[in-house]
Amino acid sequence: MQVNGNIYNPIKARLIDVIEESPSIKTFVLVPENEFSFKTGQFIELSVDGIGEAPFTPSSSPLVTEKLEVTVMKTGYVTEYMHMLKPGVFMGIRGPYGRGYPIETFYGKEVLILGGGCGLAPIRSLLFALESIKNKLVKVILCYGSKTPADCIYKPLFDRLNNTEKFEAYRTVDNADEEWDGSVGVATTLLNKIKINIKNSIAVVCGPPVMMKFGTIRLLEMGYKDDQIYLSMEKNMSCGLGKCGHCMMGEFFVCKDGPVFTYNEIKHNPEIWK
Amino acid sequence: MQYKSIKKEEWDKTIEQLLLSYTIFASVENEYGLDYELIKPADITKISYNKPKPATPLKSFFLPVKENVTSERVNEKPRIILGIPNCDIEGLCLLDDIYLDDEFNDIFYRNRRKNTLLISSDCIGIQEHCHCLSYNIKPYSENHADLAIINLDGTIVLRVLSIKGEDFIKGVPAFLSQENIDFIPVIEKEHLSTMTLLEKANIGLPDYKKTGELIKNAGNNIWEKYSVRCVSCGACTTICPTCTCFLLIDQPGFEKVKQLDACQYPGFERVAGGEDALFELHNRFKNRYMCKYVWKPKKFNSLACTGCGRCIEACIGKISKNEIFMELIK
Repeated sequence: MQVNGNIYNPIKARLIDVIEESPSIKTFVLVPENEFSFKTGQFIELSVDGIGEAPFTPSSSPLVTEKLEVTVMKTGYVTEYMHMLKPGVFMGIRGPYGRGYPIETFYGKEVLILGGGCGLAPIRSLLFALESIKNKLVKVILCYGSKTPADCIYKPLFDRLNNTEKFEAYRTVDNADEEWDGSVGVATTLLNKIKINIKNSIAVVCGPPVMMKFGTIRLLEMGYKDDQIYLSMEKNMSCGLGKCGHCMMGEFFVCKDGPVFTYNEIKHNPEIWK
Repeated sequence: MQYKSIKKEEWDKTIEQLLLSYTIFASVENEYGLDYELIKPADITKISYNKPKPATPLKSFFLPVKENVTSERVNEKPRIILGIPNCDIEGLCLLDDIYLDDEFNDIFYRNRRKNTLLISSDCIGIQEHCHCLSYNIKPYSENHADLAIINLDGTIVLRVLSIKGEDFIKGVPAFLSQENIDFIPVIEKEHLSTMTLLEKANIGLPDYKKTGELIKNAGNNIWEKYSVRCVSCGACTTICPTCTCFLLIDQPGFEKVKQLDACQYPGFERVAGGEDALFELHNRFKNRYMCKYVWKPKKFNSLACTGCGRCIEACIGKISKNEIFMELIK
């Protein structure tokens, strides 16, 4: 989406709600002033006026175009400012950019989603998209891990998915508290519990780099082939246009050629887990 | 190819006339060496011909170090850049691939390209670090520029290389005369003598087709050894005609300022979570070579090095990429 043919111009979006998901994660609900749509897995550059912008994959359904939700962890300069914002202000949006999840190629298959931490944000958008095509899928399994029960975002999502035909959702935490009666361990431990026909399956991994690395290794051990694993890569996407160079990962611009890659496409690059 | 000739005095008068409708930058020899200057009528006779190579890379005319990319622009006066070495002309082709791609066309770059007439200057003689020929780039333009110029003992000969160049020539009364091909053998002799100089000066450099493999297979010891002398100053990338990485800086009113950046600076690839694939200096150092000789060729089918040698001249650690290649080829 380009404003007046200028690729650098953001469109304005009014912040209408801020939802606190966890102590360090908030969801920003935005209404763009111009028509705006995205494909699940694509990302946007979201800016705080005069402060800076950062790349985020929307966490809302790609089928909803009148508003947009972006879930943000307070982790750096721009996101600290974002966490101070109150409804009513305008934010800037550029994009959507990049290549999202090729969900049409998931038809007739079992979809395994492995997520960790704030990686559930893009996954939620993907889940909305998959729900809309569930008649064409065999089943969808979500395995999600967070550090503590308090860090687990979108808690109602899990019950809803478990009550949705063809969907299963599992949660685990690294460190339990007294109230937690679920699984304890890293996200990959949930993979031991599930039943899946690997040959007719694809896997999606999204989360912190260390989880992506060990998640991918575990999936390969389970028998997934390199081109059955989709990774959503996190790099320092600055322009989103395949020009500024900040997100280069080998010959790929993560912003333009990704951010979703199959493991097969990028496995030769030693930098992928950095 | 059309050839047009004109006496130097007449050419100078032509430039004076052109100054009424064009902004002209040309290479001028000053106390620091050769560089582009904004030409005023009094400077016309100072314009340097045939000499390699202005200190400033051509990219600077199209990608300023810093510019606001969200504010509206008034139409700028058309420009002529005179005296561009062919290495820079070839470097511009890669910039076109990056900034004029179908999906995300940069209007600021595009308007400047449209608005600018490129007059390439044949190099007669070479500078210490010139090695364009090693990258299959000749010291004179045959295409990609609009015109090519050579000064043969007081006679200016122009070769017309593009439609834009042809249209320009048609509009200049001094060039109404028949085209002149008598100079072809003289020009060819000059070209050949510069190529011979380049060949002699660069004996032992690897064939450009092999550079990618050499860099890809280089052990970490190479990067650690040479990066000891690197201070991450970014002089090599700033002066490079094909390095154009940038940073977008936000300003109030959702304005964005685009500023030249470089993978040689610490933090270039750092993400908010703290991961930084280029944290170590030798990794940043290696990154520049991988980008130029392995990744850009994969992505754009073109090496991101033109053999201009500016990075060797600019390095305060006296790191020569040619020295690295010589070691790799052993």
